[in-house]
Amino acid sequence: MIRLFLFIAALWVLPSASYAQSGSLSIDLAHDQVDITAGFTGAEMTLFGVKEGKGHVAVVIRGPKKTMSVARKENVMGLWFNRHRLKFGNVPAYYDYALSAPESDLAKPETLKEHGIGLNALRFAPDTKRSKPKYFESFQEALIRNKQAQGLFPLKPRGIVFIDDNFFRATFYLPSNVPAGRYEVEGFLIKNGRIALNRSEEFNVGQVGMEARIYKFAHGQSLAYGLLCVVLAVLAGWVANAAYRRE
Amino acid sequence: MQIYLPIAEMTVPVESILLLGTFVGFLSGLFGVGGGFLTTPFLIFMGIPPAVAVGTQSNQLVAAGVSGVLGHWRKGNVDIQMAVVMLVGGLLGSFIGVFIFKLLQFIGQIDFVISLLYVTFLGSVGALMLFESVASLFKKKTVRSEFNAQKLSPFLASLPYKMRFARSKLYISVLVPATIGFVGGILVAIMGIGGGFLLVPAMIYILGMPTLLVAGTSLFQIIFTTAFATIMHAVANHTVDLVLAVLLIVGGVIGARFGVWFSRVITGAHARIVLAILVLTVCCQLGTQLFIRPVELYSTVVW
Repeated sequence: MIRLFLFIAALWVLPSASYAQSGSLSIDLAHDQVDITAGFTGAEMTLFGVKEGKGHVAVVIRGPKKTMSVARKENVMGLWFNRHRLKFGNVPAYYDYALSAPESDLAKPETLKEHGIGLNALRFAPDTKRSKPKYFESFQEALIRNKQAQGLFPLKPRGIVFIDDNFFRATFYLPSNVPAGRYEVEGFLIKNGRIALNRSEEFNVGQVGMEARIYKFAHGQSLAYGLLCVVLAVLAGWVANAAYRRE
Repeated sequence: MQIYLPIAEMTVPVESILLLGTFVGFLSGLFGVGGGFLTTPFLIFMGIPPAVAVGTQSNQLVAAGVSGVLGHWRKGNVDIQMAVVMLVGGLLGSFIGVFIFKLLQFIGQIDFVISLLYVTFLGSVGALMLFESVASLFKKKTVRSEFNAQKLSPFLASLPYKMRFARSKLYISVLVPATIGFVGGILVAIMGIGGGFLLVPAMIYILGMPTLLVAGTSLFQIIFTTAFATIMHAVANHTVDLVLAVLLIVGGVIGARFGVWFSRVITGAHARIVLAILVLTVCCQLGTQLFIRPVELYSTVVW
């Protein structure tokens, strides 16, 4: 009897056991590559997922991490210019999230924040320890506001579409100004206000074709690239002049 | 139609870039100005990073300079000796300018300095031009007789390293044209303009060069400083966008045709009044950013 009790307890503790207990979650992306071509005007990224058992679903998508510098303008002798600056490390270049229910129904704010779900979870580390918390807060808010204005951060969560009880879909939109790099998608199964399971996937955003070649050339062999630009400009000027003369 | 700019890493409407290039080309055909003063602020206004706007614009100016100088060259209106002396200063200026640009970017003041320089230069040049052209409209009689009547100021005349410039019929210190070239070179690198609007008056009023030679010589010089600035921006900052440059150049070639044609229709004074008003408009537009409280005080850049 004691043995049986121990066995059941072990099922609770072991990860495989908790898997069996909490149902399951699997996610997959419609594409694992977003191509930036000459006519790139943004792209949709669709995630499909299957869950087993009851619970809510949340999906978070994050772009490559960047260091961002936030500057605040001040008026000095009638002129407005950047007076104070604060740098933040680890800012995702892109962030969006989708929920199957309103945030308040999913879990406590702290739980969501801890797992990086939602706008309140967007907290960045300033690269200096000297800044006062109040000062830091206003810069962080401004960073989020500017990112939202560029369409790189959401204003509110997107919805998750359930095709049946278990099969779901979430669609995100990557605007044309998204930077290239590795993007991370994380899906969560939330039960009774707790994160029961999470799964993650990655996809790549990159320039392809002519654009990619120009980018590579400009960054790889910058001197040759600069010379090529100048030669092309000289030729263009020459041809233009020859065309006038003929008239 | 939208097109993705690989270096700026953003999408822009092709039509508006072509239109901008055409308009600037039109101005250069009509007035013989490079038009960089219009392109750089407009590109920045479209959301293109200032560094890419300036770097790419210097590339476009190479094409504008070549197509502009050839006519002067065939007529023999280029003082190559003077241009080479100015170039020594000009190349040094654009070399230093690219690093000043980088430094300003590092301390987060590049937008401010670009706006401030534009407001200062455009404001003063625009006001002078407007005053001069309106005055000439009312006076009726042309004041063209002051040809080469300028005398070098005593201080400039006393400078060492004198050289004889046969083509311009001048005997002056090389330091004077080299310094003018130097200032021009800095402006090319920081503001993305050819600097003709500054070089031309400086060559007429400070050097006392024959007016006939000034346009060709300054253009000849500008080709090399802008080409050098392009290479420097490409190497040091990776901010020359070939796709953007091609669009601007194509627009410019088309626009210059209309400009040359239109210059036969309109009288000089009227055209200069229009140009002066345009220059002052751009100046005011940039000035509002400096003097009026911005809606969003905070700005964000990738570090």
